[in-house]
Amino acid sequence: MSETVIETRRLSKEYIRDEFHITALQDVDLEVKRGEFVALMGPSGSGKSTLLHLIAAMDVPTSGEIKVLGQDLRKLSDRAIARWRNENVGFVFQSFNLIPVLTALENVELPLKLTPLKKQERIDHAVTALKLVGLGDRLGHYPRQLSGGQEQRVAIARAIVTDPALILADEPTGNLDAASAEDILHLLARLNQEFGKTVVMVTHDPHAARFASVVHHLEKGRLLPMNGNP
Amino acid sequence: MLRHLPLVLKNAWRNRRRTVLTILSMGVSLMILGLMMAIYHAFYFTNTPPEQDLRLVTRNKVSLALPMPQFYGDRIRQIPGVREVEAEQWFGGVYIDNRPEHLFARLAVEPDKFFTIYPDVNIPDEQKKAFQQERSACIAGRELAQKQHWNLGDRITIEGDIFPVNLEFTLRGIFDAKDAFMNRSLYFNREYLEQSLPQARRGLVGTFTILANSPDNVPRIERAVDSQFQNSPIQTKTETQSAFGLSFLAFLGNVKLILLSVCGAVTFTILLVSANTIAMSVRERVHEVGVLKTLGYTSEAILGIILGEAVAISLVGAMLGLLMAQLMSAVVRAMPTFNDQLETLTIQPSVAVLCLGVAAMIGLASAFVPAYHASRTPIVEALRSTE
Repeated sequence: MSETVIETRRLSKEYIRDEFHITALQDVDLEVKRGEFVALMGPSGSGKSTLLHLIAAMDVPTSGEIKVLGQDLRKLSDRAIARWRNENVGFVFQSFNLIPVLTALENVELPLKLTPLKKQERIDHAVTALKLVGLGDRLGHYPRQLSGGQEQRVAIARAIVTDPALILADEPTGNLDAASAEDILHLLARLNQEFGKTVVMVTHDPHAARFASVVHHLEKGRLLPMNGNP
Repeated sequence: MLRHLPLVLKNAWRNRRRTVLTILSMGVSLMILGLMMAIYHAFYFTNTPPEQDLRLVTRNKVSLALPMPQFYGDRIRQIPGVREVEAEQWFGGVYIDNRPEHLFARLAVEPDKFFTIYPDVNIPDEQKKAFQQERSACIAGRELAQKQHWNLGDRITIEGDIFPVNLEFTLRGIFDAKDAFMNRSLYFNREYLEQSLPQARRGLVGTFTILANSPDNVPRIERAVDSQFQNSPIQTKTETQSAFGLSFLAFLGNVKLILLSVCGAVTFTILLVSANTIAMSVRERVHEVGVLKTLGYTSEAILGIILGEAVAISLVGAMLGLLMAQLMSAVVRAMPTFNDQLETLTIQPSVAVLCLGVAAMIGLASAFVPAYHASRTPIVEALRSTE
């Protein structure tokens, strides 16, 4: 039986905006096995991104339990969580979020600066990651010198450069044209199939969800019962 | 932290116009600060030459403008440790007219003791003898002689203002001295002045210059002279020659307070300017703070990166400021001054280090609050920031 890498039990998240209580997630029970490519689908405001943030320990739940890669995230200190995230999670944003003053190579090198690797080792790793996403010839380019699809590839290279077990992608194709989106989805699928990465992708695009092996639907903060593969 | 240096420097250079303006404002402020500190250092921390360490000056305790009886010199000479005492008198007067190029110090001295008191005065023996033997002889520092185009044998007339006599001298010597003030001054025989004055104004002395036989005796002589005349109608104030030189600054007011006030005001102003700039810069990048945290950067690492950026900008500004301050020092050195220390004004290494330290502190202090808040912003909130 495959190892469970993400497990949530009655996971809930509430926000307080001014005097209003907003329930972003309610009693979510989710299980993701190692090597799965999971798509989280749902309309805007359904809690997809909130769930992704909780899995990445970028936010804390209001109640419930969450274990990622066997780690109870609620028991870790801020410093330990940062280290855990650096080592185990690669995050891909919808809007790429590259640092504009750094080149592609420097952007990809950023997470490695938190590791004990030496400068040359960091560069070697970053070059390898960029070659893997097909940007070996764009090392010295700044984000403004790249197309949207290329920027997202750099962001994916940055997400995988520390060789994390888990890749979390928040609407990775949301800002891309159809052709670039297709490339990115193929790339994520390749990382899942060839390199065994567990991928959790938030999307509201049914076409994108077809690349996933498992699809979960959220609505109004609740995880709907699974109805099989798309 | 060093591995984040490229990010720190690139962030600092992100908004070039703002960074350049910040560096310039920091540079101008640090130039003023550096110059003030250099002047402060020159006035209060400059080591005196060894020969000056042995010299003391006694004056009327009430005011430098009031004289003392001549016989005080004999009493002072009897104090153990005193090697020589010389009476001196500021003459003032007018040479040709009152235009700045004709203004220089004219002092009546005792030629037979003058060269003992000031062994660092370098003058040919025959000129020294001529000065000592001829009542109306005078000697001038080389800088003054060159400026006035004087040659040996020239006749120089000084019209009295403090003293009701006009004196005519013959230039018998041109000397070189380490002391810049002396190099720009004219010295003549006090005996000549005495004999030219009405009887009622004779026998009075402006200052006594004392030469101690050892630096160890200087503090004791200082106390002994003043206590000697403590119960006299005219009391004295004795101090080292360097302290006496600084007492002229008192005419300008509380110079220490003025200098420190300017330094404080400059530091506070640049702190506000820098704080405003850094706050603006950090506010624009809260979103990136969220990205860095997502990559695994801790709040502390982010705090260090932002503080490092502020310190880098401050230090570059400070280096520019120190360079400008050094240029300004050269301008001050070239200007006519009333103070020897200003003649050699320069940005000492200690002043430079202090200025860089102040700049680093300004960088840290101005950036700490915005950097701390940014680094503590929760990731999701930071990522939501669109400013």
